Amino acid sequence: MKRTLLAFIKKEFVQALRDPRMKLILFVMPMIQMTVFGLALSSEIKNIKLAAIYSPGDAAAARLARRFTSSGWFVPAASGGAQDPAGLIVSGAADAVLVFPAEGFARAAARDRGGVQLLVDATSVTRARSVEAYARNIFSAHAAAAAGLPAYQPPFGFDVRIIYNPEMESPVFMVPGVMGMIVCLVTIILTSMSLTRERELGTFETIVSAPLENHEILLGKTIPYVVLGLANSALVIAAGFLIFGVPVKGQLWQLFCAALAFVITTVGIGTLISTISRNQQQAMMGGFIFLFPAVLMSGIMYPVENMPALLKPAVYLNPLYYFTSLLRNIMLKGGDHSAFVLNMAALALMAAASGAAAYKRFRQTLN
Amino acid sequence: MIRFDIHRAAAVARKEVMHIMRDPFTLVLVLGLPVLLVVFFGFAIDFDVKNLKLAVYDRDNSRVSRQLAAVFESSGYFLPSGAVSPAGAITGLDADRFSAALLIEPGFGRDIGRGAAARAQFVADGADNSKAMAVLGYLPGISAAALRKFSGAAAADPVPLKSRYMYNPELNSRWFVIPGLAVIIIGLLSILMTALTVAREWENGSMELLLSTPLRPAEIIAGKIAPYVVLILGGVFFVNLAARFGFGVPFRGNLLLLLGGTVLYIVAALSQGIVISVVTRQQQLAMQLSMISGLLPSLLLSGFIFPIESMPVFFRYFTMLLSPRWFMETVRGITIRGAGAADLAVPLLALAGLSAVLLTAAFKKFKTDLEP
Repeated sequence: MKRTLLAFIKKEFVQALRDPRMKLILFVMPMIQMTVFGLALSSEIKNIKLAAIYSPGDAAAARLARRFTSSGWFVPAASGGAQDPAGLIVSGAADAVLVFPAEGFARAAARDRGGVQLLVDATSVTRARSVEAYARNIFSAHAAAAAGLPAYQPPFGFDVRIIYNPEMESPVFMVPGVMGMIVCLVTIILTSMSLTRERELGTFETIVSAPLENHEILLGKTIPYVVLGLANSALVIAAGFLIFGVPVKGQLWQLFCAALAFVITTVGIGTLISTISRNQQQAMMGGFIFLFPAVLMSGIMYPVENMPALLKPAVYLNPLYYFTSLLRNIMLKGGDHSAFVLNMAALALMAAASGAAAYKRFRQTLN
Repeated sequence: MIRFDIHRAAAVARKEVMHIMRDPFTLVLVLGLPVLLVVFFGFAIDFDVKNLKLAVYDRDNSRVSRQLAAVFESSGYFLPSGAVSPAGAITGLDADRFSAALLIEPGFGRDIGRGAAARAQFVADGADNSKAMAVLGYLPGISAAALRKFSGAAAADPVPLKSRYMYNPELNSRWFVIPGLAVIIIGLLSILMTALTVAREWENGSMELLLSTPLRPAEIIAGKIAPYVVLILGGVFFVNLAARFGFGVPFRGNLLLLLGGTVLYIVAALSQGIVISVVTRQQQLAMQLSMISGLLPSLLLSGFIFPIESMPVFFRYFTMLLSPRWFMETVRGITIRGAGAADLAVPLLALAGLSAVLLTAAFKKFKTDLEP
């Protein structure tokens, strides 16, 4: 490597790290985000506010309602003794309301088989489905006994085992995905404005007049960010391991390859955005227009497997989708060979394509 | 004592409007981008996972066990295919070839026939949070359907529970996703708008120029914010049209209440942008801070997809500092549940409080930055 190029890379490093606020964004913010999202997020449904409406003195109904709250999933809603189930749900005081028959639960159960109704607030669809499933489970396990009837044991059921995360710990679920998001965010916001800014400030002319080849300028402008992005990935993975005890069951070299290919891809895309944009505002919008769909379609927020066929290509063009799959597979499943090769190939292809596109646009900008 | 001249603020607003008009990029962006993103993701986001690849290892191979696999298939959620051994099924999960596995031991069909408690093992992939949750949500329905198939209506639960989904009886996930998306996009766009335009004025020195005039900080801020509030409301209008007529999302509440909440939310986000731009005074950093303080927190901590009720206590309180969280509650409450002002008093007051705090912060920061 030529000495001028080395010197150029060094200069870029110094420039990127000079601003203390930049160091904060690079090294402190990712750790904070990782900690916050790793601890806070959970797709599991807890603390469901349940109101039970039954006539005073209905001991069987009260017994069953207590079963719900002692299960750990439900908490009693602050109903204030209100008797209007729909009103409780509109005001958001309750997520679900159990309405027992007015004549008394035990009598109704013995005579006409129940008559208990469950109203579920379906404003949030995913939550509603889980709430209903939990409630149904508790109800069918305890209703007969509470009403004084012989206990009912369904003759068939599933023994559910959740492999890779048997305790259903949310950090194990969330950390590999959040990690990819953070690395993606940092590399894109670092690079998408870099060249546009230089052009706006006029310092770009100085670089162009330096004794450097085109590709050297591009390398000098991107290598530092690839290195910073890799350092960032290492930091975030270490944090996931040390703070949350999220395992890395696969090989470290696999993680390194995945992170390298991903960071090259995002740095390439960021550079592409910065060469296309005419001013920093456009560059920023370009960054947003890439980041928003990339994060949403990474498979962390919702399952992307069955998107409409017309939109599916957008998933296959999303580098974050492959990186997330790789992180999940390497960290939690041990980095199965075939899955690794498949996702790596896709990511390497994207790295090459985005690098080539950035180089082509970059040359056009120079001339 | 804050002195404030409405005419001067109006003059700043006029200047800002001219800026916006001159640059069609901003105009198109604010009016077009939100509706574009909402339509795209309205189609793209679907919480119902269908055709999940299910590895079935059936050691029993009886009529009943084959029926169980058929129930999985006819649900539409699973695509069963045979596995040679339990280990083979797990290897398939390791390689991401399957999303779940069903293991049936010998004697399953005999147990069902005798009415003894028969169990089948179901293995879910815990490495993929979004799919695992969806899969687990389907199981109760599957086991109920299987029970009906094995033993007819006779084995029904002696004390049945009738459940009813309110406001969205079909469980159409679009009704839930689209208002949420709108909240996030509008908020982010608002932050970016002011963060960048004001940072640019600092960077190229035109802010100094503005400050050397008799204009006061409050007038500058008001003049900067007002045109964007109007512009972004235009974007919101198109988003609402698309939601209502494109996706059939119901609107059951009061339009004026929604408008009031929206203005509060936009003011909060625009003020956040101003605070960022005053602190950074540089476009690149302003963008980085806006993305960091805007994108992930509003996507992940607003209750958009990950329920706030499931967070640990500390984070449930922490989300109260985020305006998207309150606006999410407001928008979903008004559109889906038809909630009124009294029902939404807490989120609306919180929104008003947050926008007042952020506006004051913008003003204070601006002022202290001026005085030597």
